[in-house]
Amino acid sequence: MAWLESIQRRFFGGFWNPYASLVAAGVGAALYFGFTGTLWAVTGEFTRWGGNLLQLFGVDPTGWAYFKAIKLTSSPLTRSDGWLVIGMLLGSLVSALMSGHFKIRWPAHARRWVQGLVGGLLAGFGTRLAMGCNLAAFFTGLPQFSLHTWLFILGTGLGSYLGVKVAVRPFMAGQPRLEHGVRTVALAEASAKAGPHRHLWAGLVAGGATLTLTAAAIAAGHPIWGLAGLFGAAFGILIQRGQVCFTAGLRNLWLFGDGTLAKAILLGMAVQSIGTAIFIYKGVPPIIHWASLGALLGGVMFGVGIVVAGGCETGWMYRLMEGQMQFLSVAVGNVVGATVLAYGWDHWGIYQALVAPWPEVNLIHTWGWLGGLVATFAFLAALWAVVAWRERTFRIQRQARAPIPWRQSAAR
Amino acid sequence: MQASNTPHLVVHRSLNVEGESCPYPEVYTLDALRDMHPGEVLEVIADCPQSFINIPAAVAREGHRLRHQVQIGACRYFYIEVGSSGSETPASG
Repeated sequence: MAWLESIQRRFFGGFWNPYASLVAAGVGAALYFGFTGTLWAVTGEFTRWGGNLLQLFGVDPTGWAYFKAIKLTSSPLTRSDGWLVIGMLLGSLVSALMSGHFKIRWPAHARRWVQGLVGGLLAGFGTRLAMGCNLAAFFTGLPQFSLHTWLFILGTGLGSYLGVKVAVRPFMAGQPRLEHGVRTVALAEASAKAGPHRHLWAGLVAGGATLTLTAAAIAAGHPIWGLAGLFGAAFGILIQRGQVCFTAGLRNLWLFGDGTLAKAILLGMAVQSIGTAIFIYKGVPPIIHWASLGALLGGVMFGVGIVVAGGCETGWMYRLMEGQMQFLSVAVGNVVGATVLAYGWDHWGIYQALVAPWPEVNLIHTWGWLGGLVATFAFLAALWAVVAWRERTFRIQRQARAPIPWRQSAAR
Repeated sequence: MQASNTPHLVVHRSLNVEGESCPYPEVYTLDALRDMHPGEVLEVIADCPQSFINIPAAVAREGHRLRHQVQIGACRYFYIEVGSSGSETPASG
């Protein structure tokens, strides 16, 4: 068992540095795009889950315009995005088990279920309105040089700022379990060493299952599915180990003036943009969507939703695999929200009103290679400057011993 | 383990945030620290992995001192001493 413990200590002992994790995610995402021509993305697949669930209940949504656009097949196992998502869930599970972070946790407040569901609904609807979530319209979308991601990112920034204002209000935050009374505590060392290794073995089993599944897909003549599963597992391990949560990145910035994760995300996008630029130059067609009002509005809805829910799409995936049951409601909310949008796309005229009037803007086509690259890096630099400014503002306030910002708003 | 050699710490308040996920562990922790006097110690029991990163970061940023932390199973116990800059108007509010 010594080898098992040494694996745990070496790879799953502490958290991975956020900058290293996000640069690795950026490189991985660029390679995944180069190999498969598709993006590291999840919400399109969540929408298809909604479609498949409707089919289970006898409703046939294959005629809906949205499902025609994103190609609804019969099950997640018959499309590469499905394998990617399954891989991510398994990878996160392996990582949570191996690091000892797995524990079934029930929320301390019943209202968290409602927050998860409502926030998840908003986020699910918003992301599909914008054609992508914190991945395809943000982290992996911007490096495609599609202008719609700029609108989505600005919308998400604004939405998450508003979401923080709401989430710390007493009706949402609730009362903590705080005990008063002086007592003496012996500072014991962790007793975990003596514990059983069940979680490590479970992690190995989950890892073995991942490899077996992907190998089976490749053996059955679907190497792209197997590749998607393997990339998904790697991304899953990465987001759990690095605690790569885009919600936390934005929320920590607005709430605490902590821009570490936000800067790491920007760096990951910059590195990825170099990689995708090379693949696009070599002929892989970029994924471009409408730079529409819908992308901006969707971003705002997404931003509010993820902060209220406590996690975005990648966030709930790894948190659920850590055993945080609250995120089941976020998952349900996401799938339902995305499916409602898919219905409303043509049935309520959402596409005609909010999306169709706007063009699909490929920055490389519009401004040429130099212009597109310069614009993209300038945009990232501007976002970096906003993060740095926010951090600085908080530092100055702290030095002036100003009260905590959320206290002010709660007191009003 | 020899009990006589184990260091002890006087704890004034204890905050249990098991089951809570971000941002509430950090929000509750900073709120609780604001209501305490400099030198007092707050115990925080958390099980959200993200808070294992965010609580120490928030504590350091706000000028408090993390005296000790210990991982027991999936829970982490933090012992935080209130810094001199931490307190606005003390308790009873």
